[in-house]
Amino acid sequence: MTAPHSVARAGVATAGAALGIASVLVARRHPDVSLAGDAPWASVAQLLAGLGLVAAGLAHWARRPASRSGPLLAAAGLAWFLVEANDPEVGSSLIFTAGLVLFAACPALLAHAALAYSHGRLRSRVEVVAVALGYAVGVGVVGLLAAALYDPRAQGCLDCPANLVHLGGSPGADHASERLGLWLVLGWAIIAVALLAWRIARASEARRRLTAPVLAPAAVYLALVAGDAAHGIGRGFQSNDPTDRRLWAAQTVALVAAALGTRWDRLRSVRMRRELARLVVELGAAPPSGGVRDALARALGEPDLILVYRGGETDWIDGAGTPVALPQTSAVTQLTANGELLAAIGHRPGTLEDPGLVEEIARAARPALEHERLQAQVRAQLAELRASRARIVAAADAERRRLEHDLHDGAQQRIVALALDLRLARRHVTREAPALDGELATAEEDLRLAVAELREVARGIHPAMLEHSGLAAALLALAEEAPRLVVGELPQDRLAPAAESAAYHLVAEILRRAPGGRVEVRGRLRSGWLVLDVKSEGGQPDSLIDLEDRIGALDGRLTVERTGQRGTLRAELPCG
Amino acid sequence: MRIVLADDEALVRDGLARLLEDTGIEVVGRCANATALTRAVDSWLPDVAIIDIRMPPTHTDEGLIAAQEIRRRHPHVGVLVLSHHLESGYAMRLLNETPERAGYLLKERVSDVAILLDTLHRITEGECVVDPTIVARLMARRRAQGPLDELTEREHEVLALIAEGRSNQAICAALYLSPKTVEGHIRQIFLKLGLHDSPQHHRRVLAVLTFLRAP
Repeated sequence: MTAPHSVARAGVATAGAALGIASVLVARRHPDVSLAGDAPWASVAQLLAGLGLVAAGLAHWARRPASRSGPLLAAAGLAWFLVEANDPEVGSSLIFTAGLVLFAACPALLAHAALAYSHGRLRSRVEVVAVALGYAVGVGVVGLLAAALYDPRAQGCLDCPANLVHLGGSPGADHASERLGLWLVLGWAIIAVALLAWRIARASEARRRLTAPVLAPAAVYLALVAGDAAHGIGRGFQSNDPTDRRLWAAQTVALVAAALGTRWDRLRSVRMRRELARLVVELGAAPPSGGVRDALARALGEPDLILVYRGGETDWIDGAGTPVALPQTSAVTQLTANGELLAAIGHRPGTLEDPGLVEEIARAARPALEHERLQAQVRAQLAELRASRARIVAAADAERRRLEHDLHDGAQQRIVALALDLRLARRHVTREAPALDGELATAEEDLRLAVAELREVARGIHPAMLEHSGLAAALLALAEEAPRLVVGELPQDRLAPAAESAAYHLVAEILRRAPGGRVEVRGRLRSGWLVLDVKSEGGQPDSLIDLEDRIGALDGRLTVERTGQRGTLRAELPCG
Repeated sequence: MRIVLADDEALVRDGLARLLEDTGIEVVGRCANATALTRAVDSWLPDVAIIDIRMPPTHTDEGLIAAQEIRRRHPHVGVLVLSHHLESGYAMRLLNETPERAGYLLKERVSDVAILLDTLHRITEGECVVDPTIVARLMARRRAQGPLDELTEREHEVLALIAEGRSNQAICAALYLSPKTVEGHIRQIFLKLGLHDSPQHHRRVLAVLTFLRAP
């Protein structure tokens, strides 16, 4: 906001107030030649329409200094008051002349302001031509040309101040130009209304929500102007008969509506702020996941809105913390706060093209956005942590499997080969050196024990039975070796390897750690989960943390139920 | 006796072959994988195929699968699976379908020539043999109700030795019993397991199966 702009705006405000008061005074002094007349409601309407436009224009100007819409709206408001300035009572010939030239400028200015709303730019050549035509007709033909041919004294207005732009011409030419002006106004106004209607119809929904409150009343106003022109054509000249006055009154209403319409998006953003403020409170109480998105969708009136959060330096996550791509919607707006990129909104084009609105959202929703973003980040980290835990377990399982394979296919085979060589040597030695045979036999027996021990080690690391035949078979095999393990009913189907492995090692560890007595295990499948109950007669081992960790890594649960000396351990493992 | 040998580890394969040849057994084929084994058995029709349970490509139970395949294609070719696994489940997979002419020994047993030769002979005679260590594990296992409950302690011991592939004579020696007593125990076992109607040579196999299958 620059100083020259403020000065200009103050000047416009002052001019608006002065012109408004002057025009009301003039109209009230000469009700018979004015459109407003001296009825109090008419004076109020006259002031409201003009000052409303000026105020709306100034406000828009202040908010968006780069947009021409603000000054245009204010100018339309000032021009509205000039309708009364061609009254003989104005005294000053300068004002009188200005009134003569500019009394019909308001429709052209308003059409320009409306077509350019809210960026201040016209979008197409047709619009540029239409606006230029508006000025040519309203100011050029109806104003300047008519004024140049108009001699107030020749028309019998002896009190009228001098017409400074009078060039001469006959009264006939004067009437002809007036009639031409009315036709041109009628034609142009119809074109302008059509263009405005086209603009409303073609706008995106979001854009329409923003502009229709201004464009529609402006179109209505221009239609009323067209109607008045049509009414005047029959008569041949502009006047203020009851029909003109009724149309004028209707115009004031349309103009007030247009002025209010410029405040519509402002009202919407206030409503949204309230919505967001409510959201902040809501989130403070019990943060529902995705609440910010829903509130933004409600506030912006866009149910399909997508909200994604900045996860790390370059990635995006949704409210649940799942990594996502930037929304593939036609428009994406990034929300930053204090220079930090918080989130991005995927939406229809036009919804968030007002940078002020975006800023406001970022400001109002910032606590909620940050809150939810943090939550989403925590969820993302949690998911990553879980995945990493599962990966660690899977890697450990794979490593165990590899180790078991290596022991069997490497070391064990070597020892067996060695034992075979030894036996072969022994067969030859026996005949020649019987004393050596005993020692070789011992060595051979040691090798056999080594193989057996190696097998035990390998099986402890990873039971091949589990890999080949599944949990039930592996537990039965375990029971062959540890008779205090009693295997009850178990699902015979193959389950997810990680679940099988976790379940097997749980039982094996309980068996190893439980103080004594029978250990009973039974399990069943329940909607994609393996529910394993391990009952231990001698009580449960003291520490189960590592087992809990292992099961937790698979998103499973381990619960302990102690009843007296016996304890039942329940492991629930997802195996879908 | 003609043997085909399958083990992916060359050291073991050659060592075992030399040992067998040293005892006068003819090793007609040496194979490093299941495909070569099947081909060798098809062309040589040996008395017994000795097969390592772990063979390429996955080194898990390819040998066992190949053994089952040989059983189906050539019922008169005996199979001896050398295993690294104590669990009876693997032995059951081999013996369940056709228990005759089949043996399941732990790998380290191969250097024990006496047991190896005895096992090979028992297999060619149509019996089935299970490694003593596995039998011992099964004996120690807590069992649910079943036909084996009716056996006396002594009959249990005798049955376990039968499962290990021991001859009556060997059982006598192991338990310090007279041949007559052992024969009496064996008759009792067959009676209690409901096998008295089966042909003589088949009974021993069926008894072993009953023993292995008991839950």
